[in-house]
Amino acid sequence: MGRFVVGIESTAHTFSVAVASREGKILSDVREVYRPPVGSGIHPYLASLSHVKAAPRVLRDALLTSGVGEGDIDAVAYSMGPGLGPCLRVGAVVARSLALSLAKPIVPVNHAIGHIELGCLLTGTADPLVLLVSGGHSMVVAFSYGRWRVMGETLDLTLGQLLDQFGRHAGLSSPCGVQVEGAASKSSRYVPLPYTVKGNDVSFSGILTTAKRLLDGGERFEDICFSIQETAFAMMVEVTERALAFTGKKEVMIVGGVAANRRLSRMMEFMTRRHSASFHVVPPRFSGDCGSQIAWTGHLAHSKGVTTSVEEASTRQSWRLDQVDVPWRE
Amino acid sequence: MRSRAGEGGTRVVYRGAEADLLRGRWCGLDAVFKFRRPFIYRLKVLDDAIRRQRTAREAEMIHDAKRSGAHTPFLYFVDMGKALIVMQWVNGRRLKETVSSLSSEGLEHVFAELGGEVARLHASGIMHGDLTTSNILLDYDNKGSSNNNELTLIDFGLALRTTRLEDRAVDLRLVKETLTGAHSEVASKAYAALLEGYRGEVGPGEVRAVTRQVAEIERRGRYARVE
Repeated sequence: MGRFVVGIESTAHTFSVAVASREGKILSDVREVYRPPVGSGIHPYLASLSHVKAAPRVLRDALLTSGVGEGDIDAVAYSMGPGLGPCLRVGAVVARSLALSLAKPIVPVNHAIGHIELGCLLTGTADPLVLLVSGGHSMVVAFSYGRWRVMGETLDLTLGQLLDQFGRHAGLSSPCGVQVEGAASKSSRYVPLPYTVKGNDVSFSGILTTAKRLLDGGERFEDICFSIQETAFAMMVEVTERALAFTGKKEVMIVGGVAANRRLSRMMEFMTRRHSASFHVVPPRFSGDCGSQIAWTGHLAHSKGVTTSVEEASTRQSWRLDQVDVPWRE
Repeated sequence: MRSRAGEGGTRVVYRGAEADLLRGRWCGLDAVFKFRRPFIYRLKVLDDAIRRQRTAREAEMIHDAKRSGAHTPFLYFVDMGKALIVMQWVNGRRLKETVSSLSSEGLEHVFAELGGEVARLHASGIMHGDLTTSNILLDYDNKGSSNNNELTLIDFGLALRTTRLEDRAVDLRLVKETLTGAHSEVASKAYAALLEGYRGEVGPGEVRAVTRQVAEIERRGRYARVE
């Protein structure tokens, strides 16, 4: 009888394998992160090569450190999408091979839903309004009628892309979120940037264009970082507040790579207080992409009979979370 | 339900995401005081600018919208410094709260009406910018007759004067997003009725152009499947 699910994540820069128990204990979570050269972003093909090289070691380490035997494994879950095609395919190949060799079912997992479910597990939230902010997503979602529903999102760049692309323009190496946050904390001088809220949605492209131009024009890097954070985060918190007032949810949770930014979570916390909602941030170690989000969500899906065949276990680069039925939530 | 507050006496009737609404009297008229409160999470210089700008925008656009033939509250007073607008009190409930209790016929009627309202705004070069079901009041007829379901559009803080097709499409897409996000059980029916009402006002060619642009915006969405 199995009791554990193996999760494989490979949507973008991170290749990771984790083992989670049915009770929600993370037994292992091993990762290898592809780092692009200074000034450039993720090259999908080069990232996938890095994943191919890392896969055998990461898989072996994750299985060994978990201490779980083959017979204890329920299923093999993997990130089916959304993400970068070449990267996704590495994860799918590893998942199919592992499932075939262990003769276990394969469970396809939507990466974004993985972030949310792992966040709920680790923060103990039941039915939160979720702010998902990363390199791939910037959206506010709430669960209703069997699916996660998008209550607002970016119309162009994500927060992660905004911080990364500006950082790279300034000569940093991706991901730049931590460095931008560090620089921002050294300034309190606000340089006006376009504040673009369209109903429930936001647009960050104007901020990026203006910020680059200001930097080229000689404005201080620290001041621009400060201003980017203050503007972009306030926009995101504003649409989250709108969704909170609209849905009347009692919990707010922030997940995804940018959840690690302390200024953003402070702003969110101020906002939630006024609505008497509880506020939760996914622990930093699990805010970015990791196998745990896939292993745990894989378990939830598998418990409701969500599996696929080896032949069907392909990838979906474009796969919005609001297209996914979620039978394990009421 | 009716407040008995005296002249100038007010009480909070609603705390929204952006503003507090107080009900009271203004020069003898039943009025709502809309106060855009400061956001403590936002940098003060940024917050002051946004609240001031949206207050001015809302006052201006409510007035312009009325001229286009759309139903909006009458404006009584504006104080930009305080980010305060005093306007006509409208007896009604937010569409958000009434959608689920509407009959199938009532739903179609209300959303067709809404489509007509939005089309009139668009035809006169105004984009509402915030068309969620929270920002549409439905004059509720207790007798259950759907014929008297009159709509009032509120919350013009994000409105724009524009003639771009893109902006008209952004308006409709937001209605669609709100419907699928918060009223998924009736979303497709309500949206179809809305387009029907929109068509009645501006004709089939314009509807085709706007819906094509809505699809274009959706395709731009992250991880949307390209068809």
